[in-house]
Amino acid sequence: MIDLQSFNRKIVLLVFLLFQILRSEAHVNNPPCGEHELLSFMCDLCSCSTSSGSFGFGTLSNTNFIGLRYIYQNFESKDGIFENSLTSMETFNTYQLWAQVPLNEKVFLSVNIPYQDLERKIDNTTESINGIGDGSVMGWYKLQFYKKQKDSVDFNMNREVSGHSLLFGIGLKLPTGKFEEALADNVNPGFQVGTGSFDGIFSMGYNYGKDKFGVNTLMSYYLKGENKNEYRFGNQFSYSMNFYTVFQKEKINIMPFIGFSGDIYDAIIQYGETLKDTDGNITNATIGSEVILKKIILGVNYTLPVHQDLFGGNVESKNRFSLYLNYAL
Amino acid sequence: MKIMKFTFALLLCAVLSSCSSDDDMEDLAGQTGDLVIKFDNGVGDQDFIFQTSYNKSNGESFKLETLKYIISNIRFKDDEGNVFMYPSEKNVFIVNEADGNNAGEIWVTLEDIDAANYTEVTFGIGIDQDRFALGADGQGDFLTEAENEGMLWSWATGFKFIRFDGTYSTSTVTDEGLNLHMGSVGTALDNYKETILSLPNTVLVRNEKTPEIHIKADILKAFESVTSVNFADGYDQVHVDAVETPVIAANVATMFSVHHVHND
Repeated sequence: MIDLQSFNRKIVLLVFLLFQILRSEAHVNNPPCGEHELLSFMCDLCSCSTSSGSFGFGTLSNTNFIGLRYIYQNFESKDGIFENSLTSMETFNTYQLWAQVPLNEKVFLSVNIPYQDLERKIDNTTESINGIGDGSVMGWYKLQFYKKQKDSVDFNMNREVSGHSLLFGIGLKLPTGKFEEALADNVNPGFQVGTGSFDGIFSMGYNYGKDKFGVNTLMSYYLKGENKNEYRFGNQFSYSMNFYTVFQKEKINIMPFIGFSGDIYDAIIQYGETLKDTDGNITNATIGSEVILKKIILGVNYTLPVHQDLFGGNVESKNRFSLYLNYAL
Repeated sequence: MKIMKFTFALLLCAVLSSCSSDDDMEDLAGQTGDLVIKFDNGVGDQDFIFQTSYNKSNGESFKLETLKYIISNIRFKDDEGNVFMYPSEKNVFIVNEADGNNAGEIWVTLEDIDAANYTEVTFGIGIDQDRFALGADGQGDFLTEAENEGMLWSWATGFKFIRFDGTYSTSTVTDEGLNLHMGSVGTALDNYKETILSLPNTVLVRNEKTPEIHIKADILKAFESVTSVNFADGYDQVHVDAVETPVIAANVATMFSVHHVHND
């Protein structure tokens, strides 16, 4: 117990220190979105959505793992101020090394290191940019609920789990993604793989799992830090809810799921002023499945926006697809 | 207990991150920076494209092959009410749609502007009488530029402030010539107008930054804003007319708005 307490004290201290860094280094980080309006949309979407709560931090069964995840997303954005301005088609390919590592039976860490490969096409001109994106680290505490004991004598030993659990997470998104000046074309600012800011992530989830059925919910709040150019992306609230069922074969478990997710963004603030048409929201429907064969977890999901209003309607998320291969720890 | 600690850490973070100290006042004395004004011509909510037919509200339509205007006397007011006037000898520009980039934006780059937080921009459309009074030699290189761009009638008559060339159609005629050349006429007729635009966000001019002001010019307003004019009534050929040019000048002065600004 004493070890555990001192451990927790360390976590608190660590978080405290990281936020001190956030404050002191906010002004020496990578430059933000450069000089062009659409760039800011890109950053927010690219570096946040792929690590956001609506994408999930872990697997359905909430096992510990290390794995690779690939996320494909595409967007259509208006590259100008008129109705008939050119549209740009953006394709984001994200390759993530991700892991969920236990520290003890109640506390675990989730780590995410993305590699971003972004491309946009405007009027037959293609630009691309790639590199390490913004990584994130989160610490999680799992509060498992137990069934009530029938008799009052409680040896506190073999309590039966109820299937209900709560998750509390706190973490940081790091400005590990470098800013690259893409093709310095007039029309096309280029876009980048990171936001240049430290962001705080606060999550709470509720999970329920029975033999054949389960539900995972997660809500996350992103407290965005300011980067070098006094540019602060809008704080973000993400949510997701997935229902899954389990088909057990001899050696294989198939867990199809269906659910919804979404993100709500506050407006971007630069030099203390709110920028117009930079807030927004999106709600998605998700369908997918995990296939578990011994230690191997293969997951696939497809996400389709059902309602969206991003950046004054200037950006439209088309669809997202993700595929992951994990090894259970 | 642990939850309490996490909650505490969370609260601590929220408090710490919201208490950033950005109060340090910058000393901007002597500092200058560049600024880009992007002119973006449109017709209503449509981006302007050469040889595309646009409808007026009276049923007439027009297509243009030339779209140019002169901008001058650009100045900025900062958040303390001080006005920075761009140096007069450099403060005159021809905005030509044909010079637009792929997005149809014509960039005017201003250099060495006093560093400040600007909240308002003012500029003139055309050449004012003071500048005209400097004489042909007093115009510097701009005289040649204006001649090459076809924005000068003759020195005595003066500059064409706007030049829209193309064709128009009405219910009775199709693709008739349209030439809208509005300017002052010597010193006899002064059609120079200014427009004052407040900026939707503060523009921070600094040594190492190049902010942008994105101006939308709705050219339809040249034909219908203060006064709606009909091509059929003689506004298909507007040159030095003492009645028609002031009407167009007043309309043109309302064409401009700031769509947004972008700080570097």
